[in-house]
Amino acid sequence: MSDPKKEGEGLKGAAFSGGKSSLETVLGFLKRTLAEGCFDALLLPVKAPGGDSFPYVLVQDKALLEDRGSPLPPIMPVQGGKAVSSLTRRGKAPRKVAALMRPCEVRATIELFKLAQVDLENIFLISIDCPGVLPVKDFAADPEKGMAAFGEVLEKWGDRKVRPVCQICHRFTAPLSDDGAGMVVDLHIGLLGIEDGEVLLIPYSPAGEEILAKLDLVPAAGGDILSAWRDRANELTKKRGEERRRAQEEMKSKVRGLNNLLETFDKCINCHNCMRVCPVCYCRLCYFDSEAVKHPPDDYLRRAGDWGSIRFLPDTILFQVGRMSHMSLSCVSCGTCEDACPMDIPVAQVFSLVADEAQEYFGYLPGRSTDEPIPLATYKEEELEEVEDAPQGASSETKEKDG
Amino acid sequence: MADKEYNPKIVGFLCNWCSYAGADLAGSSKLKMPPAISSIRVMCSSRVDPVLIVTAFLRGADGVLVAGCHPGDCHYEKGNYYARRRFALLRKVMETLDLEPERFRLSWISASEGPRFKEVVTEFTEHIKGLGPNPVKEKTSL
Repeated sequence: MSDPKKEGEGLKGAAFSGGKSSLETVLGFLKRTLAEGCFDALLLPVKAPGGDSFPYVLVQDKALLEDRGSPLPPIMPVQGGKAVSSLTRRGKAPRKVAALMRPCEVRATIELFKLAQVDLENIFLISIDCPGVLPVKDFAADPEKGMAAFGEVLEKWGDRKVRPVCQICHRFTAPLSDDGAGMVVDLHIGLLGIEDGEVLLIPYSPAGEEILAKLDLVPAAGGDILSAWRDRANELTKKRGEERRRAQEEMKSKVRGLNNLLETFDKCINCHNCMRVCPVCYCRLCYFDSEAVKHPPDDYLRRAGDWGSIRFLPDTILFQVGRMSHMSLSCVSCGTCEDACPMDIPVAQVFSLVADEAQEYFGYLPGRSTDEPIPLATYKEEELEEVEDAPQGASSETKEKDG
Repeated sequence: MADKEYNPKIVGFLCNWCSYAGADLAGSSKLKMPPAISSIRVMCSSRVDPVLIVTAFLRGADGVLVAGCHPGDCHYEKGNYYARRRFALLRKVMETLDLEPERFRLSWISASEGPRFKEVVTEFTEHIKGLGPNPVKEKTSL
């Protein structure tokens, strides 16, 4: 690990202002990119006419940005990775599109790229510092109250009002190391530690630099605004990392062991919403929705006979543990699954706990790089000896062969 | 159950090209081993989705063995390498959730290794006996 003080020192950033608030400034910047022809369209959250949701909208008319474009909406009704995926599933976007998303959404997009579900060729990725989002159900119940609550969230940057996974998110900003090792993105919009009305535009790729050049914005390596952003982001990253560890230890004590796990998922109604909204659960037909898990009556009766009884619908835990063994390496802790759970099961908190441990084991971070293959799609000839013949340890015969 | 000897049930996923042939050889060589294993022949160890293993456990298997060709010997060249990664992940998931990963074993057994098959089955059966029955069986609302 590098010294956190040094992290991000080689970055360049250009200050941009013009709006009454920072988010208004972001819109101003986006409008300029459209006006200057940097992109043919923008994909960003837009306030629904009813004011009760913020779906992704592909915008070509910059007038729409004026009153409804929402670069940082209070909720995440659709994971941006899914939006980019549906835009490019059949191949590259026909024209140049810039997608403005939260960091977890950008990471999901990168994972989907690696899973061949996203084509990045004509996509320009913009990320923005994220304070977290409110639970989607709370917001839908009372949008007005939700807007007020989110105002506080923006002010305090980290509030108990945001979703539990957001409260312990430590990857809420752009990579702070010089080489951009934390996330693949073209341009990041920094808000942290910056005065209201201003934003910081940080290019992370040649394409990002090009766009800034086109708009006559010159990113500088030093400067107060860049160091203010970096210091605040580093400080918060560290704090959240600690909170994450603490919260995960607590969660462990609640879910570890068969009994606890059963209790946690007891309320599950088998709607599979968590899987359907998950950005990295990309299979067109999930095994758990397939005929393979629709068993004949005999099977259920036999199981009921063996065990005395059987729950209907069965296999709740199988679904959850199965999903973890399929996609936990690409889990970006975005929390969409928990938002979608009608029974308020802490799905995302359990998943991100399992995901963190799995990702650490494989030394993999989802969204970090487009070149780094997903661990299950690659291998080394010599590795993971600890799983061979475990738990007993390698027998003498195998040891000789390895030697 | 107390005075009766506990005979665990182990589900064995054996790859067609190596381990199943190894098991066959152990049988035709009349090697003695505990009758705990129910063998399921699969074309490759990488055919075994982790979900199948979790299914076996949740339906009461006391142990699950996946056996395939030694690294470098896979009939499909690299299936067992992928399998190893997949099961490493499954093991990690089970470990994080404290779901007794020690009831699962991955071993490489070639077509000529009848004695090794016997050794693995004997060793694993003893190990599972030490762990006792799968606690899943006591749950009525899975």
